[in-house]
Amino acid sequence: MNLGMSGNMRRYAWLYVMILPIIVYLGLFVYYPLVQGVISSFQETKLLGATSWVGTENYRTAIDTPQFWQVVRNTLLIGGGIILLGFFPPIMVALALNEVMNIAFKKIAQTTVYIPHLFSWVVIAGMWMYILAPSGGLVNEFIKSVGGEPIRFFTSIGWARSLMIGLPIWRDMGYYAIIYLAAITSISPSLYEAARVDGASRFQQTWQITLPMLKPTMLVVFMLNTLGMLRIFDQIFIMRNPVSKRYVDVLMTYVYDLGITQGKIGLASAISVMVLGATLVMTAIVWTVTGFGKEE
Amino acid sequence: MSESRQSEFVHRTLGDRIYQIVVIVMLLLAMSLMIIPFWNVVAVAFSTPLGSMESGVILWPRGFSLNGFQIIWKNLGLERAFLNSVIVTFFGTIAHVFLACLAGYVLIQKDLPGRRLLVGFILATMAIPGELIIIPLFVVYKNLGLLNSLFALILSGMVSGFSILLMRNFFMGVPFDLAESARIDGASDFRIFRSIYLPLAKAGIATIALFEMVGRWNMFLPVILYINDSSKYTLQVVLRSLVTENQGNSGTSMITPNVQMAGILIAVIPLLTLYPIMQRYFVKGISLGAVKE
Repeated sequence: MNLGMSGNMRRYAWLYVMILPIIVYLGLFVYYPLVQGVISSFQETKLLGATSWVGTENYRTAIDTPQFWQVVRNTLLIGGGIILLGFFPPIMVALALNEVMNIAFKKIAQTTVYIPHLFSWVVIAGMWMYILAPSGGLVNEFIKSVGGEPIRFFTSIGWARSLMIGLPIWRDMGYYAIIYLAAITSISPSLYEAARVDGASRFQQTWQITLPMLKPTMLVVFMLNTLGMLRIFDQIFIMRNPVSKRYVDVLMTYVYDLGITQGKIGLASAISVMVLGATLVMTAIVWTVTGFGKEE
Repeated sequence: MSESRQSEFVHRTLGDRIYQIVVIVMLLLAMSLMIIPFWNVVAVAFSTPLGSMESGVILWPRGFSLNGFQIIWKNLGLERAFLNSVIVTFFGTIAHVFLACLAGYVLIQKDLPGRRLLVGFILATMAIPGELIIIPLFVVYKNLGLLNSLFALILSGMVSGFSILLMRNFFMGVPFDLAESARIDGASDFRIFRSIYLPLAKAGIATIALFEMVGRWNMFLPVILYINDSSKYTLQVVLRSLVTENQGNSGTSMITPNVQMAGILIAVIPLLTLYPIMQRYFVKGISLGAVKE
């Protein structure tokens, strides 16, 4: 380096100035609220913003509330449902896409299944609430035309929860399929060549080469879904109604209702801290298993 | 290459053909699961108000009409909300991408004292889901007097560890010698950043920008959190009140289905026009999205 000591100092000063906005932003809008959230969880906020220390009372209140356990249960049922039932469809779609020889058809199919991933939950909710509407909806009109009774999907307890599982699977199927397809494309062709020489059929090649080679990707997708489970909010908030609320409310909608709607900041913070703890543990596991963040 | 293709065809047995048919049928089923709901929306959106209310399956517009679009755009105020969404998406994306590039550039300076600390400070935020700090964050916005402003929405999610990480990885692919020789010629870091790194990392910038645009256009939680004044509502929030209310329980909504479906189409058309460009950055973007979600 040709620069002298003072030249270096000047350069570093500039670099620090360049990154300063990011540090300030993260300090103000991530770290400070994080710390504040933990503090609030041990406090009670009175009218006019006065606070007093209450120890672990908020945590005990949360754990003693049956509704808390109900939303934990809902979160696990809905999140777990998405993870388990949503696991195979994208793999099947990716394998199918990989078998298509016609490039144009492949492109169209890929685009079609991916598109719903771009839609917001408001759009998806509006779309499906219309299609599943008791009168005038595509599905119920069909049921009526074959002599069945219309189903009130969004207010039926059994159906409401199933929809909260089914619609995210519908939305993200193509997205995960493309992740799998990218992984399939990177499998060495020589593996298939060798199998072909041994006389393996296309199906056998898929079963014996492609699927085993997808294991690492499956693991990543599984982990991402597991982490995403605790963050589910939009879909529930938008599609719930007074009838289904009890069966579909998840941790984040519960925290929103408590903290923002009812102003119980201490209680909502305590639940957030507990969820955060769970998230950090799960993230640590995910990062260890997937080797993410290793390059530093 | 052509030889292996050929042998593939020669070796196709009856079993392979059956497999091929099964695969195509499966794909067509998956595709129809996506197309039918969307087609239903399109058909209803272009129907007349009365046509859209008649019972029966609608897969073709009943009495072609643009009434739904006119009503939702003018009478129900979607125009204003649409404009708000455009503002938030446009400025929010620019700021987000610019800051991610700046940070990415600083983080590749191997000799910078404290670099590892900075990397840790930024990467650690990726483990903290934004949803979990909404309540204290709401208080911060309130204390800063940011509530009820579009600026609050632009500010929300303006810095993300994921985007910074992605830009850093892109910049690491730029030959270091190039910057070094410019530095010896007396170029400042900001100049090197602007004239060497930014142009060479176009693909990375496009990737972040596209995915950020989609995310901002669909933004929901920050809007209901920070905005109370209905003149500042974005498209998603206004649309929500128009399409989801009353529907679950009964068909007594005052808003006819053609209006609701027109609203949905208006909300997705910008995304659909973006799609062909997005496709070019698919694989990179997907891997970004994969860590982001």
